[in-house]
Amino acid sequence: MIRTLIGFLIRIVVLVLVILVLGLILISAAYYLIGPSLPITPSMLINPQEALAFTFALMDTDFFRIVVFPGFTFVALYAAIAGLWERKLLAKMQLRVGPLYAGKFEGILQPIADVMKLLSKELVIPKVVDRFFFILAPILTVTIATAAVAVIPVTERWVIARSDVGVLVIFAVLAFFPLTALMAAWSSNSRYPMLGGLRALHQMVAYEIPLILSVLTPVVLTGSLNLLDIVEKQSSLWFILLAPISALTFYICSLAELERIPFDLPEAEPELVSGWLTEYGGMNFGLILGIAVYIKLYVLSALFTLLFLGGWLGPQPLPPEFWFIFKAFIVTTFLLIPRGVFPRLRIDLLLKQSWARYFILALINLVIAAAVVLGGFKP
Amino acid sequence: MRGMGSDLLLILYTAGFAVAASVPMLIIPLIIAPKKPNKPKETQYECGQIPSGAGKLSLMMQYYAYLLMFVAFDVMSMFLFAWGTSISNAGLGGLLAVILFIGILLIPLAFTLYHAARRELW
Repeated sequence: MIRTLIGFLIRIVVLVLVILVLGLILISAAYYLIGPSLPITPSMLINPQEALAFTFALMDTDFFRIVVFPGFTFVALYAAIAGLWERKLLAKMQLRVGPLYAGKFEGILQPIADVMKLLSKELVIPKVVDRFFFILAPILTVTIATAAVAVIPVTERWVIARSDVGVLVIFAVLAFFPLTALMAAWSSNSRYPMLGGLRALHQMVAYEIPLILSVLTPVVLTGSLNLLDIVEKQSSLWFILLAPISALTFYICSLAELERIPFDLPEAEPELVSGWLTEYGGMNFGLILGIAVYIKLYVLSALFTLLFLGGWLGPQPLPPEFWFIFKAFIVTTFLLIPRGVFPRLRIDLLLKQSWARYFILALINLVIAAAVVLGGFKP
Repeated sequence: MRGMGSDLLLILYTAGFAVAASVPMLIIPLIIAPKKPNKPKETQYECGQIPSGAGKLSLMMQYYAYLLMFVAFDVMSMFLFAWGTSISNAGLGGLLAVILFIGILLIPLAFTLYHAARRELW
């Protein structure tokens, strides 16, 4: 008893030391990157006015954007809230209660409890796996999902990279997901992951083309690949009214890209245990299913908001940031709801549907939009 | 006004920060989590059975035709993006050309869909 207690205390002390060292490294890296351009003086400690000025100056740096607001921290927080929201929503739909104990009120602190649990869980890595790729796959999945966030503008001010080809960048980044799924599946050296990984590859690849084509409709309507331009052109009319078929196609295809329920064949629980994630446990699993998948969910619902729902445009008294996050959250909710409603499709039907229906639907709306633009319509 | 290079750099910085944030999450369990390895824990999962045979299967890819289609149509969609950004310059002739282009590609699409659905072929 006492020995375990001492061992535990030693572990905690080591953890605190590691966090301190890592924090020091991070802070010195941050200072190296942004320090020279900011007025950091000792008198800031006593003069709140100066500290406030410093905070505002900090908020205009790229470092703040990457680390905090449209960047990683915001997205991770969104992922945690979306995860909790999904569990509560599904529980209510199926007449269960969902998470209830953490945080007294409706299990509101459940994400924190989950992270604490996953962090203190043993990292089980089977002997037969290819260790390097097995550990690399979760990290890569999180990295790729976060890279797509870089080009998504929350408002005109809050965007990390003002790319002129933002739409293409997002699809270039999303195209890496089948690779990481296959990497995880192949390196696991086990049968369930192998089958799940192959299914994930087929499905994500098949649904990428209708997704790209449905995004092309707003691009045709505005003549621009810049997400900021696309939103500004929607000030009079949201594109969901001009391109409803494309919006529907985008919604269905993003369900498939996210491996959500009518299309969750790669992770079909009764058939394949957990698909390509079967061999992953502890924080390895948490990185993929707890963070990367929900960041991808954020990316796709933010993209839907930007392309079809007018992004941050909305009635004035409320700030544009609120409108963007509110709309993105509603789209997220619509992406979560099918999980409580639909059964699972068969894989050959799924693949055939993608090419025979959604591909054609996206093309139809594309041609309509092109005709509307050539007819003299200017959004 | 920033150039294309700095945009790419910012995207790479964002990805780099994700690596910097996720690697500690895999290091912390190594420090605080218990470690009690045993033999069943270290084998791959197989619903209570002792797994036998190779994990890396060589499967018959029944849906290979759908994967092949992706290669052709991904290129097609990129061409369409090039047309979509310059639609007002291309004019009506451009639209007709694109419709012809898509129409020609729909014939092999139908052919491939017919053959991909034939189970006995794959």
